[in-house]
Amino acid sequence: MKFFSSRQEFEYSWEEVSTNNWRKYCDWNNQSSHVIAVDTLTRTLDPSTHILRTERLITCKQNAPQWLRTFMGAQDTSLVYEVSYVDPHAKKVTMCSQNLTWSELLSVQETVVYTPAAGEAGRGRTVFEQRAKIIALCGGWQKIKNTIEEFTVERFRQNAVKGREGFERVLAISREVFAEQREQRRLEQVHGGAAVAA
Amino acid sequence: MSASLAPECNVLKERYDSCFLKWYSEKYLRGNATQDECAPLFNAYKACLSKALKERGIDQMVDEARMDNKDNDAQYMKPAGG
Repeated sequence: MKFFSSRQEFEYSWEEVSTNNWRKYCDWNNQSSHVIAVDTLTRTLDPSTHILRTERLITCKQNAPQWLRTFMGAQDTSLVYEVSYVDPHAKKVTMCSQNLTWSELLSVQETVVYTPAAGEAGRGRTVFEQRAKIIALCGGWQKIKNTIEEFTVERFRQNAVKGREGFERVLAISREVFAEQREQRRLEQVHGGAAVAA
Repeated sequence: MSASLAPECNVLKERYDSCFLKWYSEKYLRGNATQDECAPLFNAYKACLSKALKERGIDQMVDEARMDNKDNDAQYMKPAGG
């Protein structure tokens, strides 16, 4: 069993981060070409707590190295099942993911939490906390299990950097687009108002 | 937004995703939502997707994962703010 964790801060409000989290893997993200598809399986809003629960299926291009594929079986894509919980009052997004592919050989359970950064200095900033538990389930030598677990942790480390870079880009473009739309609306109002005045 | 794993569901998915994103940012986060207004669009997309998942045998994998996730449901469906 191995663990991975990381913590990052984004200079965007929790509202912006939690909204854009839904389109983290869109075309604006130039670091996520391995994500082929993101499908929503179920979505429910709890009327008493207002917690929004969403199940998604994430389809990725298989990018495991050949030695691992030989060992675990060859597949073109890998599937991840993710359940997220948004608590709008606590301003907290929790996302729990697990692998569907190779799940009888390797268990990867990841939890990501987005919360507003604390204190006055944290205004308009959001904290991203990620932790993952990796267990190789395959029988056989401990050495092989260790190698597979270590490899998976290393992948998490690489993806944490890429994930941040890609999401930063989505957040920046989204803010730009939003500002453009607001300006457009303002101009329409000015012109509309001028037309009425004339 | 991202594509669907089933290309035949892409149009329905895109319609639903845009509706949801607008609802989420403009109503849900501002505390003005009592229900998910995009449910009719979701149901159309889901009907298409469910068929595709069944054909590919993914539905059973999802069911199993859902069972594995029960502890998370119990923990995170409770309001964190107390």
